[in-house]
Amino acid sequence: MSKHVHEWLNAYHDNELYGSHLQQVEAHLAECPICQAELEALEKLTSLLDEVPAPEFTSPERFAAQVNLRLPRRQMTAPGKKILEIGWWMVPVGLLVSWVFVSTSFLVGEILSTANNLGLLTGVSNWLTFGPVNETDVSAALGQFGILSGNGLDWAASLEALTRTSMPMIIFQVSIALLYLSWIAIWWARRTRHARQPRGQLLES
Amino acid sequence: MTFPSTNETELVTQAQSGDRNAFSELVRLYSQGVMNVIYRMCGDAQIAEDAAQETFIRAWLHLSSYRPQTSLRSWLYRIAVNAAMDMLRKEKRILPNALEDLQLQDPRPGPEALFFEEDQITMVRKAVLALPDASRAVLVLREYEGMSYHEIADALDISPGTVMSRLNYARKLLKEKLERRLFIQMEVQHV
Repeated sequence: MSKHVHEWLNAYHDNELYGSHLQQVEAHLAECPICQAELEALEKLTSLLDEVPAPEFTSPERFAAQVNLRLPRRQMTAPGKKILEIGWWMVPVGLLVSWVFVSTSFLVGEILSTANNLGLLTGVSNWLTFGPVNETDVSAALGQFGILSGNGLDWAASLEALTRTSMPMIIFQVSIALLYLSWIAIWWARRTRHARQPRGQLLES
Repeated sequence: MTFPSTNETELVTQAQSGDRNAFSELVRLYSQGVMNVIYRMCGDAQIAEDAAQETFIRAWLHLSSYRPQTSLRSWLYRIAVNAAMDMLRKEKRILPNALEDLQLQDPRPGPEALFFEEDQITMVRKAVLALPDASRAVLVLREYEGMSYHEIADALDISPGTVMSRLNYARKLLKEKLERRLFIQMEVQHV
């Protein structure tokens, strides 16, 4: 005879067993008087519980009327609040749009700058072209005053050029990312609080 | 008059936008079930009605957080079970008194069979009320509301495996407490 199936008998009794578990329990029950008795006891327990009557409660109509009288005024969404809500959902969209806009502008600027430096824009109207940009003002000044010279001056010039060209973009990207992450964190916190509100304190295990 | 689920969804949507009549219709639909669950949890009809009112007021206040794709019954029963537990805590678990009241309601000695039946009902009710809260909630939803393990899991925010283990535990305790009754009933049926 196969192993007793005590732990599955409740689920079997409640029609909650399927597939191989169901077949296994049925096969075992067919040949095991101990498990049969256990199942019979479960069935008797259910009929004993059924015998306990529920009292006569207030009729549904009357009860609904009583509840209706006690219902507090629910705070409806005011128009101002609605606008704020729309504004809240526009925040990530705005961040995304500004990121796309600034990145595109930066890229176009870089392309124009490179083209200009290569002399490809000589025939183009003046508003699109601009003179060579001096990106090493500070290090040049430091060199003129004799504070820096040689390799030090070269390093300072490279660093200044790098800072002037890339730093604004890095700062911008990091700021957008931080704002976006903050928005997600607040959204998640609001959502979690919202989901827990009606639950009250759940039963302990 | 009963509403199909599509109608229930409409009622929920209307109630969510502040329609009290639609909400009253939902109260009417679920009042008996909610009162029954709370009564089985706490054993006192008056407390059950008070806690049921509390349940529907909480539901009204938090209706915006209810998602229509989930079961309204499970959502309401979750609030009901919590309201029952809150009420029991507030009333400092008056269950023993409720049981005594029940026994004192009809002191006249009736025919033996009737006495046995009443005694048996009292014993069973007492045994259910003596179960741990968490196991009792699962047993009540299964035995008196006929909910599936998944529905119970949704209502109590636990896994179906936990539902099964709590139900096994509750029934094991009940069988131990009501062993004699079960034995007698089985004997009678076999005779």
